[in-house]
Amino acid sequence: MESRVSAGELARLGVTVRIPTTLRAYTDGQDEVLLEGTDLAALLRRLDDAFPGIRERVVDETGAPRRYVNLFVNDELVREPLPAVHLSAGDVVHILPSVAGGSLA
Amino acid sequence: MPSVKKDSAVVLVGTKKGGFIFHSPDRRRWSVQGPYCAGMPVYHMILDPRDGRTVYAVAPNPGEVWGPGLYRGRLGSGLALSKAAPKFKEGSGLALTRIWHLEPGLPDSPDTLYAGVEPAALFRSDDRGDSWDGFDALNHRPGRENWQPGFGGLCAHSVLVGPRDPRHLVVGISSVGTFESRDGGESWTTENGNVRAGFLPNPYPETGQCIHHLTWDSAGDGSIFHQNHCGTYHRGPQGGAWTEITKGLPSDFGFAIAADPLHARTAYVAPLVGGENRVPPKSQLAVWKTTNAGRTWRRFTQGLPGPAAYMGVLREAMATDAKDPVGVYLGTNTGQLYASRNEGESWKAMSVTLPPILSVSAGIAR
Repeated sequence: MESRVSAGELARLGVTVRIPTTLRAYTDGQDEVLLEGTDLAALLRRLDDAFPGIRERVVDETGAPRRYVNLFVNDELVREPLPAVHLSAGDVVHILPSVAGGSLA
Repeated sequence: MPSVKKDSAVVLVGTKKGGFIFHSPDRRRWSVQGPYCAGMPVYHMILDPRDGRTVYAVAPNPGEVWGPGLYRGRLGSGLALSKAAPKFKEGSGLALTRIWHLEPGLPDSPDTLYAGVEPAALFRSDDRGDSWDGFDALNHRPGRENWQPGFGGLCAHSVLVGPRDPRHLVVGISSVGTFESRDGGESWTTENGNVRAGFLPNPYPETGQCIHHLTWDSAGDGSIFHQNHCGTYHRGPQGGAWTEITKGLPSDFGFAIAADPLHARTAYVAPLVGGENRVPPKSQLAVWKTTNAGRTWRRFTQGLPGPAAYMGVLREAMATDAKDPVGVYLGTNTGQLYASRNEGESWKAMSVTLPPILSVSAGIAR
């Protein structure tokens, strides 16, 4: 199940969050969802309101992204604390696991 | 896939690439189910002794990156994530990275589970793992800022619940030491008397000991067996200082220790050369057994690999069942699983092609 929206709707409605395959069990299979949020921390709380449990997969108890989770806003890797990452309608947030090449696992 | 017959021995194996469940009515021919949590490290997997049917496992949730998870299911069927994993309170500055050990509560509290985690802390669930509460008096104990991790991390890996009194709790933390509570976790004492920490300037500090594994002595009187980075120990029913029982063993280093559930003062260890060379002495994998709380030891090698055996045995990778004679199970970090159905006298390989083995537990199906 997908919920794609047009570019015009995105700009008007809010921020798109792209959901990685392994977390789509939380979103009933949706690969992207549209939410309102003025910063990245607030956006993840909104995401969790809609899909309980998903936020804890992305950030730990300190509110920081888990060690091997990367967040992008549009094409930019997020390096700042999440409350400091301001969002605007039309932004696209990507939640991506790190590639683990070279691991002893 | 054959179903698991009542009264079968069940051996649950957590590996670096999933969990496997071996079962056998006679402990001669084994069937295997799995992998569960395929591709993921399963740090611990247990059969609930209170019903002989519920399986719990701990593994990442899902994949390696999304945090720890508790999985639950019935023997012979799949495992599913519980509603929640343990977690620290936001604002505590602590973030849970791994669940190391699951310990069931007593028979009169069938929904209770304890979890030892990294960074070192103890949690309890009273709804089979759907919600958790931390033991704040331990988890946020003053002085925690001075706790130092062992090579495996700052982890609470051993959790003992008093068989007659669930208010009696014992926790092993690397490399901090043993903590004990007799009031259900409201208060804790350090219990490291006479335990060496040979890697520190003061070899007998109050804390800083590198506990590798703790297990109740089946005497049921509060006695404990203890494998440490620096020796093997036993503590009697009155508590207090430990008695070092390394004499008679080929080294003072090892990870695994398993008590015999039917015979008091009886335990099994798998010594390794030392902290800098974690392989069997003389390149012969061997299990050593005491029947007198460590006054003497016997070495068993029949059926175990060597010479030229260079594997290790991790802290959670040896277990006993409660059949008579007692079965003993041993997993290696090179993926070999061995069983003895005569209390350690001789061994047979159950599998030699598993991924590296992180944990072994055993139970009886009901």
